[in-house]
Amino acid sequence: MKIRVYRFNPERDTKPRMQSFEVATRPGMMLREALLDIRALDESFGFRHSCGEGVCGSDGMNVNGVNCLACITPLADLTEPVEVRPLPGRPVIRDLIVDMSQFYLQYKAVQPYLIRKEPLPEQEIPQTPAERDRLDGLYECILCGCCSTACPSFWWNPDKFHGPAALLQAWRFLADSRDQATDERLDALDGPYKLFRCHSIMNCVAVCPKELNPTKAIGHIKELMLEKAV
Amino acid sequence: MSRQAAGLKAWIIQRLSAVYIVLFGSYLAIQLVFAPPASQAEFVAWVAAPLVALGLLLYIPLLLLHAWVGIRDVLIDYIKPYELRVGVLSFFALLLLGSGVWAIQAVLVARAMLSGPGITG
Repeated sequence: MKIRVYRFNPERDTKPRMQSFEVATRPGMMLREALLDIRALDESFGFRHSCGEGVCGSDGMNVNGVNCLACITPLADLTEPVEVRPLPGRPVIRDLIVDMSQFYLQYKAVQPYLIRKEPLPEQEIPQTPAERDRLDGLYECILCGCCSTACPSFWWNPDKFHGPAALLQAWRFLADSRDQATDERLDALDGPYKLFRCHSIMNCVAVCPKELNPTKAIGHIKELMLEKAV
Repeated sequence: MSRQAAGLKAWIIQRLSAVYIVLFGSYLAIQLVFAPPASQAEFVAWVAAPLVALGLLLYIPLLLLHAWVGIRDVLIDYIKPYELRVGVLSFFALLLLGSGVWAIQAVLVARAMLSGPGITG
């Protein structure tokens, strides 16, 4: 199978280029394995990967124009020649490795942890099954960054718009019955940029490898904001 | 637009105005396609009819507000230099305001013509 990969070393190259490799495929082979074969041919080729089973979120990349995790993308599903590029909109460190600092800063900005005003109890804080169910479809996010780097609003304003991944987590804690900072969280999200740059383009939903729905979560935040405002 | 109006308020203005624009816009389109006025006098009489005039006087500012929020969104996304953004925003604000004043006076003139001595020409 012919695979073209993005190559760029900012210390050495003046501009990026695409390099073609022929990879012998095996039944059930995933793209990550093909990239490992390419690295065996050229050890200077750089890409992140770790768990190999869609849990760690390390190997997010853009394949034939769509963001995905290489470790759970079967080669059999891809059209030749396979074009593998880094996640869009992020500064390239080397080849497929991008700088995700801004993505993590946006994640940090939504305070992705429980905030309690009452003193913490000695034991765990119980939830009803219904309260726990509200977290389904939210807590599963592995922060691979496929969604935010597929979002045009995040491309244009990565320093100001939180992006779908961070906003999904913002809703995850707003929806949590144990959290006690709803008003503060909503106040922090108002303004034209942090939340309201989302125009429901839904690229995030289309590419999420865990099949989560950040657009729906963002809609819930807007509804809650409205509910608290009237 | 105040800082508060920048996020939630702009969003809700856009959503609510969209509902009215779809409903009244559909009425305007259906009326003009299936029962177009035969003459200018008939058109003026239709515009000046109390319910249509009221509908238009509500439609015009809501349409302009909706357009303002949309244009503002596009400019916030694409125009980064502060001075250029303020300049382009001001241009569209004046354009929309001017269009609104012109459209509202047209409805009011139609009302005045209907209640006046009659339409000539």
